[in-house]
Parts: sequence; C-alpha cells; structure tokens
Amino acid sequence: MDQNRQGARASYVALAVFVAGWILLPSAVRRLNREAFVEFQAPALHLVGKSRDLATFWEKKSRSSEELVAAGRDLARINAALEIKLKGMEDIRRENTRLREVTRYNVPADYLSVVARVATRDSSSWWQRIVIRKGRNDGIRPGAPVVFGDTVVGRVTAVHLTTSEVDLVTSPGFRCTAYLEGDDQNRIVLINGVAANSLGTAKARVSVIPYDYLLPAGTPARVTTTGMGGVFPSGLTLGYLDGGAYATQVGNFKESLLVPSRDLYNLQEVSVLVPIIQTPGEALMQGDQFQ
Amino acid sequence: MGWAWLILLLATYPWLLGADLASDTLASSSLVVFVSGTCLIAPSRRLKRWQCVLFAAGLGFLFEARRPIPDGTLALTLVAVAIFLSSNRPLLRSTPRMLQGAAIVNVAACLVWYLAAAFAADAPAVGAAGHLFGQLLLAGIVGTLGLVPVALTQNAAMDRLGVPPASEQP
Repeated sequence: MDQNRQGARASYVALAVFVAGWILLPSAVRRLNREAFVEFQAPALHLVGKSRDLATFWEKKSRSSEELVAAGRDLARINAALEIKLKGMEDIRRENTRLREVTRYNVPADYLSVVARVATRDSSSWWQRIVIRKGRNDGIRPGAPVVFGDTVVGRVTAVHLTTSEVDLVTSPGFRCTAYLEGDDQNRIVLINGVAANSLGTAKARVSVIPYDYLLPAGTPARVTTTGMGGVFPSGLTLGYLDGGAYATQVGNFKESLLVPSRDLYNLQEVSVLVPIIQTPGEALMQGDQFQ
Repeated sequence: MGWAWLILLLATYPWLLGADLASDTLASSSLVVFVSGTCLIAPSRRLKRWQCVLFAAGLGFLFEARRPIPDGTLALTLVAVAIFLSSNRPLLRSTPRMLQGAAIVNVAACLVWYLAAAFAADAPAVGAAGHLFGQLLLAGIVGTLGLVPVALTQNAAMDRLGVPPASEQP
C-alpha cells in the first residue's frame, strides 16, 4: 500500500515537472504534437465523409426514371436561362476591363476556386467550425475565404495535409467589414461572431451602425462584404440584419445581430477562394495565434 | 504488454469518432458530445499507472487536436485524473461506483476544456452560465450512459491483450 502511495506521489511530482516543461517548450513542438494528432484523425474523417457521399449516391440512385427525367428537364431550362445571362455578363466584363484600363484602376485579387466537401461540423459556445476534405495538398492556405454561391460561409483558420478547418461567420474569432442594404452612403459596419450562449441558431454581431441608418421597410436588410482588407471579394452576402437595430451604451452608434443567409450547419459542399497571389492578411494569419 | 495503452487507444477511437459525429448532428445547438472522461474509467482499473497516463494523454490530445483550446490543457488534466484513479482503484470496484466515477470525471473534464476555451477566446462570456450548465448536463448524461458500451469494448480489448483483470474486492 505504501509502495502504491509513494508511486502516486512520484507520479504527481513527475506530472508537475512535465507541466512546467510543457509550458516552457517552444510553441513549434506543441504545434507539431497537435498536427500529429490531427493527421492521425484525418483518414477517419475522410472515411466518414465518403460514407455519407456513398449513402447520398445510393439514395439518389433509387429515384425513379420519371423523377430523373423531370429533374433533367428543369436543369435544361435553368441552363438555357443562365446561358443568356452569361452572354450579358461577358459584355459587362469587357466593358469593365476597358474602363479599368482607361482609369488605371487597381485590379482586385484573383481567386482560384477549390470546391471541397464538408467532413464534419463542430460547434460550442467558443467556436463554430466545419472541417473540409481539402488541405495543403490541394493548395488551400490559411486565411482564404470560404463561400457557398454568393454567400460567405467563413474563413480557413487551420490547414492540414488533406483537411482544413473553417471558422464560420458566427464564430467568435470571425471579423470583417460590411455594407448594409439601404445605406446610400455605403458607410462601413463591423461584423464579428459572438459566443453562442443559447441552444438556438448562432448569430454574429453587427456594430458601428450609423445612428441615422433606417432599416428598409418590408424586407430584412442584406449585409454584404466591402472587399476592403483583401480577404473577401466585395458584394458577397454575409447574411441579414435580425429585427431592429438598438443603440449602444455610448449612443453614437447602433448595433444589431446578423443571421446567416443559409443554414451553415447543413452545407454539404463549399468553395474555398484561394488568392492566386498571397495577400498581406494571409501572411499575418500564419502566426501562432491561429491553430 | 508495453503497447497495450496504444492498442487500447485505437480500440477506443471509434467511440471518440462516434461522439464527434453526434456533435456534428447537434452542431446547430452549439453542444459538444464529450466522452473522453468516460473512456478513462475502465482502463484505470486494469492498466499499469504509466500505461494509464499515456492512454489519458492520448485521449486528451485527440480531443484538443481540432479545437481552439490551449495546448495540453485537457490532456494534462486527464493525466492527473488517471494518476489519481490508478492509485485509488478501490474507488472503482463496482459498476455503480464506475458509473458515478464516469459522470464525475466526464463533467469535470468537460468543465476544464470549457473554461480553457473561454480563456483562449477573445469574445466576452456574457450569459454563458446557462449554456455551460447545458453542456455539463449533457456531459454527465453521456458519461453515465456511455460507460457500459465503452467499458465493454475496452475490457474486450484488454482481455485479448492479456491485461490482468481488475480486482472486484477492495
């Protein structure tokens, strides 16, 4: 019994020494340890994601041929309508390029779109994340914006060999600038995720809303990205203002909540917009603070 | 067998993955299904102390790997719990005691990672008490209900590895 007690005491002392050593260790060692455990779990996440895809495949394969014919017909109609729009866009693009050349306007960052399947979602008060099945091997870099259609999903915070972690718009670590629909002067507001302290849908906070800003009547105000800061392209939808805006304690500005325009926890696939040329924001994100 | 802790960790991993998938389903409610504390109970009765320590560290690091929690917080907490439990095996001598132990360890470990994440987060914790209570309640329920299937898997693995059975008497 005494031997057991002595052994326990020695173990506690060893643990205390190890804790002290762990705190003093260079952060690179701790990051290497974390990376090793992430890579250990990556194959299981891929397996889970691929199993889901297989289940969806068989579910779709069981549909009747009449349903498939109807879906094909609908798609053909949508394609025809989109082709007409695309031709119109091509004219606008040429005109845009010509005007940029005439005015010597700075060309916005070009992005390479990498489509990725969602492997898993993870959410608590302090983080709202998804893990996607594309990583460093596919050219994804930390800080790259993640979108679905024209909707912002979040931003890549950690990149591993074959997987990446994406902080959602509602995650407390997320920040960006935005414009509000109905504000003719295009004044900038700030968006930042907030800790989710209820069991309901997570929301982000919209702050620095000008005091004289009035919500458009009838429809919820759309919140779009500004394109400033070089992370998100401009004009992407972040979400909608939730109800009214309330005055802050100081009273110079108003605040409100942002509801994401899509259910971020039901996405199956997203696009990562990897800047072709590395932006200054990305370089900043490669420090220790992003794990 | 020296590598018993590693093989046991691999045998336990499907339960951790299952918990992650359950968290995926509950993602819209911002709750995490946490079972790492429960997974520590059965090995604490049978593995040698050093093996138990390595097993606990592995459990902790697996949970922390993809989450913004300060490095090593949960792993080192579980190691301390593993030392305590493997030094006081009579505390876990019967199934009701193991169930109590699973609930307590799981809730305590959940509290540790929640507070560590709050410490690391740069957002204010206004009104987090209610959510913390819900998270701890879930950890307690999952810890208690999950013990039997997890312990059955782990005991089967330890039997195959030739780890001596736990004494039922104090």
